[in-house]
Amino acid sequence: MGSEAALRWALGLLALVGLGIATYLTIVHYEGNDPVCLVGGKGCAAVQDSDYATLLGVPVPVIGVFGYLSVLAAAALPGDPGRFLGVFAGLVGAGFSVYLTYLELFEIEAICNWCIASAVVMCMVLGIALIRAVRFGGLDGPPGQEN
Amino acid sequence: MASRKEEKENLRRQREEAERSEQAAARRQKLFAGIGIAVLAAVAVVVGLVIASQSGDDNGGGNGAAGADAVQSELAGVPQKGTVLGKAGTDVRIVEFGDLQCPACAQFSESVIPDLIDGPVKSGDAQLEFQHFVIIGPDSDIAARAALAASEQDRYWEFIELFYRNQGVENGGYVTEEFLTDIATGAGVEDLDAWNASREDPKWERAIADTQSEAATLGLSGTPSIVVEGPGGTEVLGTPGSAGEIEAAIDSVR
Repeated sequence: MGSEAALRWALGLLALVGLGIATYLTIVHYEGNDPVCLVGGKGCAAVQDSDYATLLGVPVPVIGVFGYLSVLAAAALPGDPGRFLGVFAGLVGAGFSVYLTYLELFEIEAICNWCIASAVVMCMVLGIALIRAVRFGGLDGPPGQEN
Repeated sequence: MASRKEEKENLRRQREEAERSEQAAARRQKLFAGIGIAVLAAVAVVVGLVIASQSGDDNGGGNGAAGADAVQSELAGVPQKGTVLGKAGTDVRIVEFGDLQCPACAQFSESVIPDLIDGPVKSGDAQLEFQHFVIIGPDSDIAARAALAASEQDRYWEFIELFYRNQGVENGGYVTEEFLTDIATGAGVEDLDAWNASREDPKWERAIADTQSEAATLGLSGTPSIVVEGPGGTEVLGTPGSAGEIEAAIDSVR
């Protein structure tokens, strides 16, 4: 099962990167500041200050923190539970990120580089989680069983 | 004819193959079930998140207008009447022609206006007035009328300064009802109903149109543009980099 370990490590690493981004944006939100905007201009401020930046009172980056924690859990969990949790977390993360990116492009009309980075990370998470599930999923059974 | 040994070999191989395909089928079933459930659950969660995100009234958790306290203390104790800041009976007036959506005006508001207030305005050497030179987009007009409506409750300058501190991307669509109400609330506008009603008053459109023609007469091309008027004359300054330049103009028009 050597290559599944590699996939789990990759998931864990991506989760940490995503967790870093989400945590940074959460801190900036509660401080009332604007995130450092690498793209230049006020894209990040516009996105973070928009109506869409909170969901029923919860800042979107906080949702991101929980999302990435689930990915981390999926990476840590062995066997089928971990694999399918990974697919679930990846689908939710990537799906919600696509929706948020749509909002940036067509509703808010401003781009925040941090949000784009997180969306990219989540898509990679989904890809790796799917590979892990398809290649190794459903294989757990009595010892001695092979594909 | 196959010997019995060969027959047994064949049967065993067939059995093993049957077992293997059963195992493969069982594995496929587990895989589809697991992924299927993950997909269904994920779709449910994402749909829930999107619905929650679209449920407009997101005032809870929003931070309202940032910098309300700082603006209040900047303007505390300085008399204000309508669109004019400063002591009555002063003959010199500094007029800023600005657009609320303009980033350079926001910059000016942050770097020069506080010095002007602390200096010539508080000492009574000059008054400060803001006129809406609407050039960036339709949202600027909406914002201008919101500010002018606030002037009727003598909260004009708080509104403008707070707006600049919370400014978004030019024509980015951030000038929503919620945004403007947050600014009005942070600026200390007490009667929001009166404020909302006043925003629709046609007199503001006339005021904004008057500003356009005055700007044209003065030859102003952009924002912010500063004009200093006094008994000794009128100086058109463009966008001064510091309060010092404006103070020099005050001296020359006294």
